[in-house]
Amino acid sequence: MSLRTAGGSRASAWVVAVALLAALSSCQNRHQSFGSRAASPSAAAVPTGGPPRVRGFVLSNVFVAAPPDEPGACPQLSKGPLELFLESLPAAQRKSYAAPEQREALMKLMNQRVGFRSAPVPVDPNTGQADPAKLAQTRRQLGIPEGKGSLSFLGRQVTYDSCSDPDDFPQFDRGLQPYLGKTAYGADLDGRQSAEDFVGVGGEASVDNSLWRALGCEWAFHESGRPEVAAKVLFSARAPTLVEISDIDDVRNDADVLVSIYSSPTPLAVDAAGHALARASFDIDGNPQLQARARGRIADGVLTTEPFDVQINYKEQIIDTVRKLRATRLRALLKEDGTIEGGFYGYYDVESFWHSVQQMTQLGASFSRLSCPAVRTALNQYADAFPDPKTGRNTAISTALQFVGVRAHIIHRSAGT
Amino acid sequence: MQFKLSTASALLLLLTAMAGCHREPATAAAPPGLRRLTEAQYRQSIEDVFGSSIRVVGRFEPDLRVDGLLAVGTSVVSITPGGMEQYEAIAGDVARQVVDSENRDRLIGCAPAASDPQGRQCAAHFLRRVGEHLFRRPLGSEELEQAVNTALRASVQLADFHAGLASALSGFLTAPDFLFRIDHVTAGPAGAQLDGWSKAVRLSYLLWNASPDEPLRTAAQRGDLDSTAGLTSQVDRMIASPRFVAGVRAFFDDFLQLDGLGTVTKDAQIYPAFGSGSAADAREQTLRTIADLLVVRNADYRELFETRRLAINRNLGPLYDVPVPGKGWQMYEFPAGDPRAGLLTQVSFLAAHSHPGRTSPTLRGKAVREILMCQKIPTPPANVNFRIVQDVTNPHLKTTRARIEAHLSDPECAGCHRLTDPVGLALEHFDGAGQFRDNENGAVIDTHGTLADASFDGAAGLGTVLGKDPAVASCLVQSVWRYASGHGGDRDESAFLHYLDERFAANGYRIPGLMRLIATSRNFYAVAAPIKENRS
Repeated sequence: MSLRTAGGSRASAWVVAVALLAALSSCQNRHQSFGSRAASPSAAAVPTGGPPRVRGFVLSNVFVAAPPDEPGACPQLSKGPLELFLESLPAAQRKSYAAPEQREALMKLMNQRVGFRSAPVPVDPNTGQADPAKLAQTRRQLGIPEGKGSLSFLGRQVTYDSCSDPDDFPQFDRGLQPYLGKTAYGADLDGRQSAEDFVGVGGEASVDNSLWRALGCEWAFHESGRPEVAAKVLFSARAPTLVEISDIDDVRNDADVLVSIYSSPTPLAVDAAGHALARASFDIDGNPQLQARARGRIADGVLTTEPFDVQINYKEQIIDTVRKLRATRLRALLKEDGTIEGGFYGYYDVESFWHSVQQMTQLGASFSRLSCPAVRTALNQYADAFPDPKTGRNTAISTALQFVGVRAHIIHRSAGT
Repeated sequence: MQFKLSTASALLLLLTAMAGCHREPATAAAPPGLRRLTEAQYRQSIEDVFGSSIRVVGRFEPDLRVDGLLAVGTSVVSITPGGMEQYEAIAGDVARQVVDSENRDRLIGCAPAASDPQGRQCAAHFLRRVGEHLFRRPLGSEELEQAVNTALRASVQLADFHAGLASALSGFLTAPDFLFRIDHVTAGPAGAQLDGWSKAVRLSYLLWNASPDEPLRTAAQRGDLDSTAGLTSQVDRMIASPRFVAGVRAFFDDFLQLDGLGTVTKDAQIYPAFGSGSAADAREQTLRTIADLLVVRNADYRELFETRRLAINRNLGPLYDVPVPGKGWQMYEFPAGDPRAGLLTQVSFLAAHSHPGRTSPTLRGKAVREILMCQKIPTPPANVNFRIVQDVTNPHLKTTRARIEAHLSDPECAGCHRLTDPVGLALEHFDGAGQFRDNENGAVIDTHGTLADASFDGAAGLGTVLGKDPAVASCLVQSVWRYASGHGGDRDESAFLHYLDERFAANGYRIPGLMRLIATSRNFYAVAAPIKENRS
């Protein structure tokens, strides 16, 4: 499935919608079966190559994790823009558009009534960027107000809608349900106990995860964040994240190891069974902003690190951004089968999270039942760290990004090679 | 045991040995033959004549393996009516591409002109040039005229000069002179002998797996190949050429039966790292490793069973569990002590001689015996019950060795398995996809074994024993000779093979040296007078 057709408009809206839905889920489902993820018993238990005292992994999914269901946690899931628009229609019209097969017609009606606009922009073949003159012309033709709208679909489309400009469409800033459950993934980030804190999935106290409090009842996150689903999908496969543990003396217990996080330009491949291919080789993205290091330790096979800042590449379908995490701890289990399972527990930069939502565009948001204005308001409301010195508004929100990964060979190159 | 020789005796022995070494025993010459081009040779011919932009699309007649070699099979196969249809379809497609408006200026190089409105001169020029290359000999004047007339007649009928050329070219590509390497015999001072063109063809297909190039054709035309100096000059030129790698690759692809990887599949749930491209890459890996070791480094052939240096790419990296820095092919050296050592630990061997979901010491051992040692293992009886060896979940028989030993309670089976299994069990640290494993179902893997009274442990130990076994080097020599000559095992060539064995050993078991020895030998070009048909 490719969204490259979106610019050329050859794909039907439904195909695009399905692709966007996958994008919203921050993943690419390639698993055909729900078989065990355990490494094949016949795979080599010990690498015969690679540098000593090093373990590398490629993360096959990094996801906003959903805790086990709790009664009353989400009395109902949040409403998406189509549901909100349908509610706004007169009763008779509402009835005629209520059926699932009327969703495409309903979306057209919504776009017309509300004034969402979008059109492809020719890309300059030399720069790969939208042609500025043609972009300006398209904006004029669409009647996009000055300073409004944004490029989407990897720069091939100009869009003006409730995701590009949530403040212009306040009618969609409603319908979001906060998560009322008591349990969530995460860690005690601030060292304080508060009423908003969760109990960790593993029983940890004072878990900070305001992002889940804000968006845990959003349909997309609620479904794609389930570990049993997330473990079977690939995230940002064209630019995956690598975790390298070095200075290892004992892989089960080691008081001091170095943990490095890299982005890779090497696509994540799948094996013949549809899982992430283990023990493949990955290059390191040379962008220093996409590299981070922290000291850590391993106790009974569980790796933990000191807090550090990290940026995780997020290139999935039509989304091309980074996840900026601040004061993040990594905690992960190094499993006997050679896989890794754990999470980044820290503060998600609100603007970087918003950027990924914004890139979905109204089209993706509609099919993902996610209202951009409501998400924006919730982010502002629940952000709980790193206040802006000038405005006093918090710029980051506590979160837990769980991950799963398989063994990998991480290729270090000397300068100039 | 100590020997005491007088100086005179030693000199005499040395002279005798030297004389013996350089005297090539004659073999009974075979009648002139026909050898069908293999698919690879067909494709190479098209590329040599028209360039790599011409695509060869179609299904070829399957090659036939005789006495272990497809090359021997080329001497006995013909073309079926169905196969001929395929050749015609391929030829038509190639011809259309050659005369296509995008290619004709480059590949034809002329067109009808005011002085030659029909294009006869152009057609003759084109057909003479490509005909000589495709038929690997000059076209006779009648033959050329017939082809030109065919082209011009078709041009008129089709109202298109280039369509007419395509028609004649298609005829060349379906002619026996192209599809078969045909020996042409002339009368020489000592009886029948191959003409220079036929010598050039034998030489070129042995050393480059391709039709003769321009300098070789020129040498053939001048009669240079009839003299030792002229022949040696061409042989040395061709061995020094980068194209010699293609010749060595072609031999080992045939000798090691790597074409079998084309049909290898693995159970994706058991061996998920063995992807759709793994088998093809494994084949390429072995050929690149061999080219690096035996041609570029001109190493002792026996090192092939112990070398820790192999070609690798990123698709194969996961199967070997090693980091692969670059995106293309590169050489990787396993450290000393690593279980990977030698040809037998390459995926091409391990995966090809296993079942889709489990290893097979029997298949692996059989491959070592038959392919590398030229021994014959009898086919198992049809009614063998494999239930015990196939049950990999038996809690009491956790390892393949344990299951095989249980299976061998039948003495009828045990006879052959005693030949194959000890060899194959040495490779049990590698699963059916060729991945290393340090245990099987939690049980320790025992890789001890014996071969011809030599004991070993594991693949590296087996590789060392194989390298020292004279049967291995002899098998290689015999196979290169059969590959070169197309002769099967039904001919008594033992004296000549013994001579090659000795020379191969004396030269340090170097493949280029062995191929040079064969390419410059009298026996390689020997031919008996054609048998005249008795019409009385």
